[in-house]
Amino acid sequence: MRRFLARHATLVVLSCLSLSAGLAVLALRGEAAVWRALWAALDLAIFIFPVLGAGLLLAATMRQLLPEGALSRWLGAESGLRGLLLASLVGIFTPGGPVAAFPLVLVLLRAGADRGAVIAFVLSWALNGFQRILIWEIPMLGLEFSLLRFLACLPLAVVGGLIARRMPASWQPDPR
Amino acid sequence: MTTTQALVWLMAVGAFALLLRRDGIVPARRALRETGGAMLRLLPVIGVALPMATLFAELVPPDVAEGALGRGSGLVGILLATTAGMLLPGGPFVAFPLVLGFLAAGAGPAQMVALISAWSVLGLHRVLVWEMPVMGRRFVLLRLASGAALPVLAGLLAEALMLGFPALEQPAFEWSRSAVLPGEHVLR
Repeated sequence: MRRFLARHATLVVLSCLSLSAGLAVLALRGEAAVWRALWAALDLAIFIFPVLGAGLLLAATMRQLLPEGALSRWLGAESGLRGLLLASLVGIFTPGGPVAAFPLVLVLLRAGADRGAVIAFVLSWALNGFQRILIWEIPMLGLEFSLLRFLACLPLAVVGGLIARRMPASWQPDPR
Repeated sequence: MTTTQALVWLMAVGAFALLLRRDGIVPARRALRETGGAMLRLLPVIGVALPMATLFAELVPPDVAEGALGRGSGLVGILLATTAGMLLPGGPFVAFPLVLGFLAAGAGPAQMVALISAWSVLGLHRVLVWEMPVMGRRFVLLRLASGAALPVLAGLLAEALMLGFPALEQPAFEWSRSAVLPGEHVLR
């Protein structure tokens, strides 16, 4: 039982959230609202599943096209605005969640990247990493919204890198 | 299938063809296997996340979604959405359905851009669970300080860019909140 819960933690948490939302709607808005929401969910599912397949295929293909190490070649001691732009670009094409991206920071540092480039990379990955956009954002929120957010966030990683270069705080990589 | 969905499929098939041509059958097969595996993992999650999103949309009071976070809420709405994004826990499987619910209830796209950006850059739970242990406190502070203003900037930029996205003028999913019988809501 415990192992089942640990393995399917996401599903269990989401089920609990959905169930409590359902009960709250039932209590506050009545039974008709519950049915309306469930029908809307079905409608959404029909809308989302075709594009989810495409998003997943594109994400998996990109992971194969960009093997580990292919990205770090592009990063180095490039300074100035060019370094920040490159770091942002690499951030977008970095796959995976936090576990995958933070170790890349160490690769970056070893390659001689400066503080601004490292911050630009992490921010760009967090804001516009391709995997989350392809798997979650486009299927759920649509291509127009995803494109709007992508474009609005595109220059910001560079802005963050510029700010980081001017920060008085001194951060040196942990030798560990 | 809409035009935009067809576009995503076109990109996926194009990239897959490129992979097949460049690297041969083995990586292509691996990509297909990964796609299938991810699909199987995600289907139940999304199956539960979607009702959560639509039920949540019923719960959001109209004056919050259309007023405080609505299209006309401007900078105040963007600041509010940024705060909400910072505090929002969980991964994409929670955040995106909630944003979908907000959009359906009438929230402004620019405000939701700020919310997603704040959740990605400043999300407290992610910082505490992932970043702090791996990268250390000083790095986290430097990154947070450098990124603090970005969600608000993203919201303002999105507000300016909205003119180029006439499709976003309508709410993402137009289902009436008022007395409509099941099945009568309109999709897009």
